[in-house]
Amino acid sequence: MDRMNDKLDALWAEYRDACPDPEPGSDFMPRLWQKIEARRIETTSIFRRLAKICVMATVALALWMGVVLIPHNQNDEAFYTGTYVDILAAEHSNDYVEVLPAGDFR
Amino acid sequence: MLVEFELIERARSGDDGAFNQVIQAYRKRILGTIARLIGRPEDVEDVGQEVFLRLYYSLDQLRTAEVFEPWLYRLTVNAAYDYLRRQRRRQESRMSDLSEQQVVMADAAAGSKRNEEEERRTKVRELVQSLLGKISEEDRILLTLKEVEGLSLKELEKVYKVTENALKVRLFRARQRVLKAFEAEKSEE
Repeated sequence: MDRMNDKLDALWAEYRDACPDPEPGSDFMPRLWQKIEARRIETTSIFRRLAKICVMATVALALWMGVVLIPHNQNDEAFYTGTYVDILAAEHSNDYVEVLPAGDFR
Repeated sequence: MLVEFELIERARSGDDGAFNQVIQAYRKRILGTIARLIGRPEDVEDVGQEVFLRLYYSLDQLRTAEVFEPWLYRLTVNAAYDYLRRQRRRQESRMSDLSEQQVVMADAAAGSKRNEEEERRTKVRELVQSLLGKISEEDRILLTLKEVEGLSLKELEKVYKVTENALKVRLFRARQRVLKAFEAEKSEE
C-alpha cells in the first residue's frame, strides 16, 4: 500500500511536469474584452426589454380601462344626467295636486 | 501574490486598465491550473475566459485585496467544475470524439515520429486523466489542487471555506479512491 502511495505521489509530480502552463493565444485578451462587452450589452438590453414590457403593459391597461370600464360605468342606471333641481321636480311632480281643490278659483 | 494589492484595489473600483494588468499577470498560471484540472487542451482558453469574465463581474464583491488569490482559485474551481459536469453529461458524444481523436493521434504518430520524452509525457497525462475520470468532479478538483498544484491546506481552506479537518477527511477519501483506481490500472498492465 505504501509503495502504491509513493508511486501515486511520483505520478502527480510527473503529471505536473507533463502539463506545463500553456501560453495564452494572441487573441486571448481581445476575445475576453469582447465577451465582457457582450455581457454588458446583454445586461443593458435585458433591463431595456423589461422597461419596454412595463410601458406596454401600462398602455394596455390604460386602454382597457378606457375602452371597457368607463363606458360600462356610464351605462349604469344610478348615473344621473340632469341637474339636482330637475331630478327633484321629476320625483315630486304630484306633491301639490291636493292643496288646490278642483274648480274653486274664486 | 503576482501583483500589488493597490492594483487589485484599482481593478475592484472599476479601472479597466488595472483589470487588464491583473489578467495579464495571472492568465498563464490560471490556464495551467485549468489545463491540469480538465485535461482537454482545446478547451482550456474557453474555460479560462469564463473565469476572468466571472472575475470581472464579481470583483466588486471582493472584501479585501488580500483574499484575491483564493477568490480567483474559487472562480477557477467553479468554472472547471461546471465544465466537467457538462462534459460528463455529453459523455457519449465525447467517447466518439475520443475515438476520432485517437485515430487522428495514431495517424500523426505514424506520420511523424514523436520523440520518447513526448511519448512518456503523453502516457503520464493519459494515465492521470484516466484515474481522475474514475472519481467525482469534486474529488478530482480537490486532489488536483492539492497534489498537482501544490496548494497548502491553509490555502485550500480559504478556497473552499471549510475547516482543515473537513478538508483532510475529504482529501483522504478522494486519495483512497484514486489509489484504488491506480491499483486496478496497475494490475491490468
